[in-house]
Amino acid sequence: MSERKVQFEVKKADSPTRKCYSERMIEYGALDTEFVVFESDIGYSTYSYLFGEKYPERYFNMGIAELGTMAAGAGMAVDGRTVIVSGYGVFLTMRAVEVVRSFICYPHLNVKILSSHGGLTAAIDGVTHQATEDIAYMSTLPDMKVLVPCDKYSARAAFDISIQTPGPVFTRLMRDPLWDLYPETESFSLGGSKVIRTGGDITLVSYGDIVFQALEAAEVLAKKGIDAEVIDMYSVKPFDKETLLESARKTGVVLVAENHQKRNGLGYEIAAFLLKNFPVPFDNLGLDDTFGESGDYFKVIDKYGISARGIAEGAEKLLKRREKQ
Amino acid sequence: MESVQRIEKEGEFQEKVSFLQEKAKEVRLRIVKMIHKAQSGHPGGSLSAADIMTALYFEILRVDPNRPKWPDRDRFVLSKGHACPVWYTCLALRGFFPVEELDTLRQFESRLQGHPVATKTPGVDATTGSLGIGFAQSIGMALEGKMLKKEYKVYAMLGDGEMQEGVVWEAASSARKYKLDNLVAIVDNNGLQNDGNTDRIMPVEPLDKKFEAFGWTVKRINGHDMAQVLSALQEAKEHRGTPFCIIAQTVKGKGVSFMENVRGWHGKPPSDAELEQAIKELKGELT
Repeated sequence: MSERKVQFEVKKADSPTRKCYSERMIEYGALDTEFVVFESDIGYSTYSYLFGEKYPERYFNMGIAELGTMAAGAGMAVDGRTVIVSGYGVFLTMRAVEVVRSFICYPHLNVKILSSHGGLTAAIDGVTHQATEDIAYMSTLPDMKVLVPCDKYSARAAFDISIQTPGPVFTRLMRDPLWDLYPETESFSLGGSKVIRTGGDITLVSYGDIVFQALEAAEVLAKKGIDAEVIDMYSVKPFDKETLLESARKTGVVLVAENHQKRNGLGYEIAAFLLKNFPVPFDNLGLDDTFGESGDYFKVIDKYGISARGIAEGAEKLLKRREKQ
Repeated sequence: MESVQRIEKEGEFQEKVSFLQEKAKEVRLRIVKMIHKAQSGHPGGSLSAADIMTALYFEILRVDPNRPKWPDRDRFVLSKGHACPVWYTCLALRGFFPVEELDTLRQFESRLQGHPVATKTPGVDATTGSLGIGFAQSIGMALEGKMLKKEYKVYAMLGDGEMQEGVVWEAASSARKYKLDNLVAIVDNNGLQNDGNTDRIMPVEPLDKKFEAFGWTVKRINGHDMAQVLSALQEAKEHRGTPFCIIAQTVKGKGVSFMENVRGWHGKPPSDAELEQAIKELKGELT
């Protein structure tokens, strides 16, 4: 009874992860005086403008021109300089995807992508601004690393990991503040994950904003006598296979929930991994071959099945399916 | 006789201008109200385009609200898709859907999405919201009109910040190659973009010389002088031989004093008090 299930305290966040990442970027500007930032006219949205105010000579606002901004960033990185490219996820990962693929990943350049408005966190802006396929595009590219922090300190850590890891790194960030989870002292690493709630009946894997929905789903399930383990897979590529395997061995059931298309997201990665290494009853939640829509974030994620309610229902369904097997 | 006809014609033109000026006031009122109601959206670029959009929808465009997909309709593409509050307002006032629906902007399960979606909103032909792409789509719409030997014109509305997207100039080139004299581009040249003054972020001028170099016929106007707006649109409508570009000098946030020429009003909704002030100004209750 006294065992502490949830490892961290959930608190209302003041700042969205896009801002937390940028704040760390500005601090880091003093530690590493060589890296530069390329912006595509949403500096006031990603907060990269603050870097521009502090280091005007290291800040290039290329205007509303995401493709050209990405290519110029690649050009500046050719001799080894680290370049941060900032923008909205849809435009950076889709409009500029060829540049990212052939001229950043292929030549292994130190380009770090600050990608805001990930998934349905940009719910109210509508589909053209919701990056719901970004993880698929970025994680498919050879050499690309993919990070999705869920809160302030993991977002700050994502910047540090990005700049300290050679080659391209993509970080997906959120539009609006949600909650904070981790203390300042928490450490994060490329390929790492966090077991944020321990449990023995089912493993819930998530990343970014949906981590909080998974945690809430675990509480809903607890009331029904189901003890869920929740993993924050903040490093989406590479992901933490050891922790996943350990949890899957313990619970024997894995459910992945992500703010992304079900197809070609982390769910598919984990499914393939488990099928090859440790087959268990499995399901994944996300956009089911459909686009999102405008509206209140909580209503929209609920409609598309990735709210706490959807995750709890998905978990119960999966457990029932196992009983039948 | 001739002078009588001329005077009559001038009188008729003046009447139209007066009508459109009044209509534009209503459009502006509804824009600020709907963005306030949604507590999300882009007032600045909607208000700067309000006079031109009003002239298009209440005088220039051949459209039929009862037949939104009428094959002979003029096409309109809002390439600066974030300004959709002005478009939704014109469509509603023109009868494409109930005016009450404007209250549902950006809300859950509304037909009025945060950026224009062709499959959801009657009167919206092209989905937009990613800058530059709407204009490039208008090239294809104009080519289709040529292929089918249709008389309709395609009107595309762009922002000045949008001119920074390379695809704009790819589209501009192709309009000359295919002699798309059924295409009219209108640049809402309000001088501001998300991060600041367009001149400072990434200069786009001289837009007239650029479009001329790309083979377009260009007219620069004051986009808030309804007589100039109407006469330029009439000229564009009649123009043959080359694609036509209207560069409209506008003020971002036009009509609401505290929004005018202020960067911060690109994508921010007004508070209750700000709405009240805006309504007073737009109704002419304040000087």
